[in-house]
Amino acid sequence: MRLALRAPAYLGLGLVHAWRWSFGLLSHGSCKYHPTCSQYALDALRQYGLVRGSLLAGWRLLRCNPWSRGGVDYAHDQRLFR
Amino acid sequence: MILLHILTPLENLLRDVLKWLGPHGTIGLSWAWSIVALTVIVRLILVPLTVRQIHSMQNLQRHAPQMKELQKKYKTDKKRQQEELMKFYKENNINPASSCLPLLAQFPVFISLYLVLKHFPHLPGDNLEWLGLWNITDKASAGWGPVLVAVYAASQLASSYFMSATAEKSQRILLLVLPIAFIPFIINFKVGLVLYWMTTNLWTVGQGLVTRRLMPRPAAPEKRSSRTPPKEVAPAVAPEPATEPAKPSQPRKVKRKKGGARR
Repeated sequence: MRLALRAPAYLGLGLVHAWRWSFGLLSHGSCKYHPTCSQYALDALRQYGLVRGSLLAGWRLLRCNPWSRGGVDYAHDQRLFR
Repeated sequence: MILLHILTPLENLLRDVLKWLGPHGTIGLSWAWSIVALTVIVRLILVPLTVRQIHSMQNLQRHAPQMKELQKKYKTDKKRQQEELMKFYKENNINPASSCLPLLAQFPVFISLYLVLKHFPHLPGDNLEWLGLWNITDKASAGWGPVLVAVYAASQLASSYFMSATAEKSQRILLLVLPIAFIPFIINFKVGLVLYWMTTNLWTVGQGLVTRRLMPRPAAPEKRSSRTPPKEVAPAVAPEPATEPAKPSQPRKVKRKKGGARR
């Protein structure tokens, strides 16, 4: 049952890995946040499932813009879902 | 499949802009040149973003010696090293150059353009050629296509060269190998898509060249002496005296502002 609930998250994980091995390689592995956005997405998907994980990852990507400050920001420190 | 539906509005927008630029639209360029023009428009929209990125890149380069020291200090612990670097950024008001959004933003444009080219809005009898050598709806493996792919790979190499100015050596090598590794995929794309990618790379190269020209200038105000050439002073001596007096003055300012706002 638990595995069945988790299954959709694997779709997201697969997509993130696909990104990492294609265009992600071009980004020379430096994100202004630690961990990087893709690592954050993987963590978020594993911990919060497809829907909430995707929302968290999307919000992180929007924060990872040239006007933001960056810094240390782990998925488990999020305050969107409690 | 769902992802492709999300991109439909962007695909329609790109198609409309292409039609507007194209032979039956207001501007009346040939289809191939309208793809080039579309690329230039996309990059022009991204210019404020790039300017911001260039400024932070200059800032990074100014603090490079201190950052290298930090990296040496935590050489064995990569995670700690990263976290210390982030702290250093925050303390010195540095905004790291690279952020994920600009790169990711180009990805949907690329896929949408792929979809647009798949069902290209041309009428029978339209001129689809570029410079008389390439047909934009052909695969890049046909005819003169491989020549274009070679030019693309060269442009990608050149643009990575400029984009990776602050990257580590191993990453730089990877960046230089990638364009060649991508060739087997790219040769199966339509010529129009290669044209887009090539143009966007050449734009990056042009930007890199312009920035190189402008690079030494912003380093000057740090020292506040217009007579000394900034290039010689900035890397070795300037950062330390420049950053140290800045630290105490900044928190003071912030405190005053906060107090004022509360009252």
